[in-house]
Amino acid sequence: MSTFEIRYLLFSGYTSMLSIKDIVPAALNNITTQFILLDKGKVATEGQSKTCLALVADESAAVHFQFWGEECDLFKPGDIIRLTNGIFSYNRNHLLLRAGKRGSIEKVGEFTMTYVETPNISEMRWVPDANNSKKYVQEAVISPYSRIFPPML
Amino acid sequence: MASKLLQLAPHEAENHLELSLRQAFQLLEPKLRPPFPLKILTSDECPDLTRAILYGALTETHLAKTHIKHLHATVSDGYVLFVNLLARIVNELYDKLAETAKTQVLWAAGEMVDVSAVGFSGLLVSLLRQIVGGDFGSGNLWLCFEMVSLFLGKWDCLLEEDPLILTSALYNFLRLLADHCRATVDSRLDALKRLEIEFCVKMLREQFGLCLKFGRDLIRLLQDLVHVPEFRAIWRDLVSNPREFGVAGFLDVAQIYSMRTSSRYFSLRLTPEAETQLRFMLTHVKFGNQKRHQTWFASKFFCSPERETLIVDIVRFICCAHYPPREIIHSNTIPRWAVIGWLLKSCRKNYVEANAKLALFYDWLFFDERVDKVKNIEPALSLMVHSIPHYIELTHALLEFLFLLVDNYDMEQKDMIANRVSSSFTLLINQGLSRNLENLTSGEIIPPPLKEKLRCFLSDTRVGTAQEIQPSKTLGHLIPMEVGTALPEEHLTDV
Repeated sequence: MSTFEIRYLLFSGYTSMLSIKDIVPAALNNITTQFILLDKGKVATEGQSKTCLALVADESAAVHFQFWGEECDLFKPGDIIRLTNGIFSYNRNHLLLRAGKRGSIEKVGEFTMTYVETPNISEMRWVPDANNSKKYVQEAVISPYSRIFPPML
Repeated sequence: MASKLLQLAPHEAENHLELSLRQAFQLLEPKLRPPFPLKILTSDECPDLTRAILYGALTETHLAKTHIKHLHATVSDGYVLFVNLLARIVNELYDKLAETAKTQVLWAAGEMVDVSAVGFSGLLVSLLRQIVGGDFGSGNLWLCFEMVSLFLGKWDCLLEEDPLILTSALYNFLRLLADHCRATVDSRLDALKRLEIEFCVKMLREQFGLCLKFGRDLIRLLQDLVHVPEFRAIWRDLVSNPREFGVAGFLDVAQIYSMRTSSRYFSLRLTPEAETQLRFMLTHVKFGNQKRHQTWFASKFFCSPERETLIVDIVRFICCAHYPPREIIHSNTIPRWAVIGWLLKSCRKNYVEANAKLALFYDWLFFDERVDKVKNIEPALSLMVHSIPHYIELTHALLEFLFLLVDNYDMEQKDMIANRVSSSFTLLINQGLSRNLENLTSGEIIPPPLKEKLRCFLSDTRVGTAQEIQPSKTLGHLIPMEVGTALPEEHLTDV
């Protein structure tokens, strides 16, 4: 690796990409990952802002994602999206991945990504770890696939 | 003040290629203003200066001529880097380019032809591929107009430097003309159509020997244009007066049938993006899990009814230019025949569907083991065989269409075509591909007349009895460069 590339890695805010299957619920804005947008629901209003629920996935797992504000209209199914400093937590009883106030999303490509629709980590029951109450672990599968966005057959 | 090279949508990630050019430009901007230093550049400095000049030429319209002069003064690699970067911009970023930058790209491409830059043909091919068939938007028609004007305007230079690029342009404009001629009367199109016809007719009348290099698909494309008077006249001469073209040894249209079209032509009518996505589908997407990818592909590339003709180009591309490696064939990746089945089902217009089926069977009609590839005829048979259990009506429709082609495609050559179709069947059976198809002739799943015809084609006795044409001896010098005897390892032995 050239010194230039090392410098790039050190100073470009490079953080390692998480696989969706390795994401756990937490009140932290520290999730950086990349996924393909599979399906979008209707745009709704939450307080002052528009929101839109979506199904996203990578090669390891799927998850429900919440678009916020202008994001709702700027992405379409098939887009490959990079999430930086996102958060995976409960929002009105739904377990959702989103950029949140401190995170961001950007479109990095289209189409050329494979994915799985099961497991879906939003469709799992998570409980605090017996040994470490701050950490969540999977307790049970509520549904193997998204109940909101069923697979396309 | 430089304008932007790209027009990115909000939330779109920065592009590395654009960034590298912009950074070079910002770093070297003071050196891009005359008077230019006379110092000879080191090999390290050259690439960055070329990037900076390219960025300047595309974004500073008013200084573009100065930038190109600067390039002429400093270039030491025959313009290879400049041309390659320009081609990458076209391949990867054309849709995202600002309008002024698109105009500058076209202008810079013309400059590169004028200096016979190394690799200029590749750049022209990249630009040709950005023209979208069936897209009547003003931006797309502008590009088409600029390109056909470039080919006409720089005809002598292109003919001298790289005549084969003219055959690529011919393939493109014949194909685009078919779409443009089908459009409802539109005055914007008239001027463009006149130029396209002028270019194609000039090629066919003045450089017919060159046109022959592109092989049998020349006939397929010409037939789609017989309703245009200029092409009807050419067609008449092809059939009844072949000497009119002044090519020694060219005596019969059947000689063109015997030449397999080189695979490099089939990607010309797909944008690089469509090719990337299609190849991704055929190498990464699992069979049974393809629905979403297919939906995205269709909504991007066949979004309007006029753009459906792309299906014909894709079918031909899959048959003749995309050969999955053995490990993909044996994996659970979606096979070529399944993608073709989906494409045929996606046709909403009858003439598109008929042309797509013709594209699928085209090499069957003229198959010659000495020049053709089994891989090119395999998808049609696999589609028929795999459709038997659940989509038998598709198998029927395909068989009926094939027999219709045998009887009607070219009445003068009916025996030859019947013979070639029969040998296609025989060859595929010998490769173990069509055991199920043979069951069709014994069971009750297809109507008796169809069964009788199929039985006739499947019987080996036909092969070798019909008269053979022997074109390669007299016309050897005209056969496309890529053509050669199909090697045994190229054959699909197991699917």
